[in-house]
Amino acid sequence: MTSLNSLLCGGLQGYILVALLLFLIGLGAVLVRRSILLQFMGVELMLNAANVALLAFARFRGGDPQGTVFYLFIIAVAACEAAVGLALVVGLYRHRQSTDTDRADALKQ
Amino acid sequence: MFLIFALITLAGAVALVFQRNLVVAGLCLVLCFMGVAGLFLLLANPVAAALQIIVYSGAIVVLLLFVVMLLNEHQEEPAARSRPLQRWLSVAVILALGAGVVKLVTGSRVLRQLDANARSAMPAPMTLNKLGDALFSQHLLGFEVAGLLLLAAMVGAVALVKRDL
Repeated sequence: MTSLNSLLCGGLQGYILVALLLFLIGLGAVLVRRSILLQFMGVELMLNAANVALLAFARFRGGDPQGTVFYLFIIAVAACEAAVGLALVVGLYRHRQSTDTDRADALKQ
Repeated sequence: MFLIFALITLAGAVALVFQRNLVVAGLCLVLCFMGVAGLFLLLANPVAAALQIIVYSGAIVVLLLFVVMLLNEHQEEPAARSRPLQRWLSVAVILALGAGVVKLVTGSRVLRQLDANARSAMPAPMTLNKLGDALFSQHLLGFEVAGLLLLAAMVGAVALVKRDL
């Protein structure tokens, strides 16, 4: 099995590469965009990249259910993060009438 | 099949980064999550695929779109002042990391070994039965803590957005 074949036909390397690229795209969304909602979407992309890598390794190490258990925990934490994070965004918007992170650069108004 | 779902995932993510309208960006996020769910199906894990669609593309994206529409901030605001150095620095860092990642993954001998091992013995697909067994026999405490965390997050979210508690 050559490396390129494994990349294109769903070998472990292909999944890990997709996960890492997804993580980097999410990181790009956080670093380059200014809207806090888009940055939030970037964080969700990074969480998903971690999930893809976790489940790919779980599958290629013999289909261990522990991987899916941890995926369940990650999903629970992501849901908490979404609820609290979006509440914070709404709070920020109430104080500053803006979702631009460049403008939210002072702790006190 | 793998290539199709991988392309859907990455295309959704890239479209999200370059999208001007936040509502369309949320829909790109749904596309990306659907691609990830497809990848989970190919990994013989239909439980994770269903959870991905229900929780991520169902709950989280809907919450996100609600907030986007509630705040009426469909476009990114014009920059207060341009920061070209930070922008180009982040692009350069991401491109460098991407090149390093591709080189590392394609050249890794351990990953190739794991891949070859898995090909000789394909594991059975994940079922809710196996997942429940593992969850409630070995991770019961973690399960309870996750429930408590969800409750705390719910109370916290209400407390944060309520004006006079």
